[in-house]
Amino acid sequence: MQALSIESLVKTYQTHSSSPVDALKGITFDVRPGEIFGLLGPNGAGKTTLISIITTLEKPTSGDVRVFGQSVTQNAKATKTQIGVVPQEVVSSGFFNLEEILKYHSGYYGIKENSARIQHLLQRLKLTEHKHKLMRQLSGGMKRRMMIAKALVHSPKILLLDEPTAGVDVELRTQLWAFVRELQKEGVSIVLTTHYLQEAEALCDRVGIINKGELKYVGDTKEIIAQLTQKKVELITQDGRKVNFLLNKDESLGKALREKGISLDEVHNLITTEGTLEEAFVKVLST
Amino acid sequence: MTGFIFLFKRECHRFFKVLVQTVLTPVISASLYLLIFGVSLGQHVELTGGRYLAFLIPGLMMMGLMNNAFQNSSSSLVSSKFTGDIEDLGIVPLSRSQIIWAMSLASVVRGGMVAVTTLLVGEAFYIAKYGELLLPEHPLWLIYFVIMGGLVFGQAGLMAAFWAKTFDQLSAISTFVILPLTYLGGVFIPITQLPPFWQNICLLNPLFYFINGLRFSMLGSADMEVLPSALLVLVFCILLNVFAHRVLTKVSFSRW
Repeated sequence: MQALSIESLVKTYQTHSSSPVDALKGITFDVRPGEIFGLLGPNGAGKTTLISIITTLEKPTSGDVRVFGQSVTQNAKATKTQIGVVPQEVVSSGFFNLEEILKYHSGYYGIKENSARIQHLLQRLKLTEHKHKLMRQLSGGMKRRMMIAKALVHSPKILLLDEPTAGVDVELRTQLWAFVRELQKEGVSIVLTTHYLQEAEALCDRVGIINKGELKYVGDTKEIIAQLTQKKVELITQDGRKVNFLLNKDESLGKALREKGISLDEVHNLITTEGTLEEAFVKVLST
Repeated sequence: MTGFIFLFKRECHRFFKVLVQTVLTPVISASLYLLIFGVSLGQHVELTGGRYLAFLIPGLMMMGLMNNAFQNSSSSLVSSKFTGDIEDLGIVPLSRSQIIWAMSLASVVRGGMVAVTTLLVGEAFYIAKYGELLLPEHPLWLIYFVIMGGLVFGQAGLMAAFWAKTFDQLSAISTFVILPLTYLGGVFIPITQLPPFWQNICLLNPLFYFINGLRFSMLGSADMEVLPSALLVLVFCILLNVFAHRVLTKVSFSRW
């Protein structure tokens, strides 16, 4: 059974002033149990709308989302307990300190006593010494970590991260991604949206690329890079001549060298650079 | 059930964190009303068969209760829309019914606390003026009207907060709807002292029945018999509950 199944999902926003806006135009894909799935797309592609439908904040116009086989439209209460969400914008919970926020949030999920989990998350996300502070007293990075703690307080099987590293510094981003990898090892399925394609490339087992509400590509991260990008080859011959060329996925290096009239004996140094997810992403969007 | 209890506790905890603003401020307003209208101007008001201060105390209790019950749910939700917490309510496994009941019961607690503290302050004035306590004639009716007032105005505040798109819109509901209806609902004067036309207008004001009911509970008499008031208040509560469910099914839990 898939962790998430997005089935022919359509979302149309009716507007009073202009014609209806199609935010999602029949998207279908699955997220497998225990994988990190990257949902990529430019601003306004429909990523946050999709996450809002998975979390039941929005209702689909048609189609459905299944969480471990259960429909979010038919059985929302059951699906909500399986999902943790880190929204794009920070939530500040003005009146309560971190410990209180986590305690109440656990309660909403039906967990009366959750102190051990709360202390564990605070410690793991380096927030223990700040647990009596209000959200507004925290730095931007601490707020982000707190949002993750809140999303994980009920031990969900799926974690949705909607651009969790937007505007955070490099050190925090590195810490967050290390934490995401640890969660994956614990069996949590993770769906993340990010604009940092280098990170998506390093982290995600598979990616889905959406643009203007349409799913343009879904598949293995390495596969999309191999399929849609070219390998860069930089060669220096024994006599110091530099030769640069590109290799397609199916082309062999030996054949390319033969075509260029260069024998292996002439090669002094050879550097190959794989294509990037960013290049593949741009190619997908341009088609 | 646990989720409901935690949301109820959170809503009570929220107003306890700002107790000066949520309970003390309305009590100070009520004290000023009691001093100016009840003690000072009140001695010139003639009421058939009663003391004006005794008439005023239950009116102020219900006025404070209604305003604070409304504000408890509405300000909690509007500030949640502002800070983003409102999305939490949408994504956690709480039913619409649990949200409505937890928030309106917390409104009952805050409204009840304001009503009780207003009564205590009123008692101090009453003892100072008449040397005796003003004891409720019908304590069970008193409890009934306090709970119903809190539930109805808690639900009204919840709907207003979901409807409002800005702080101004919410403030407009308080200023242009709740406040005039409260003042014209018989808090300060018995409607029987008004001309017949205005008496009929007051009977169209739903808030009159809450004030009338609480006054009957305290004094044993009021402008109208208690049973019609009690029944109408129950009908209002059921209607608002139905409306609140419809509102929560349709609205978005999105932040501003």
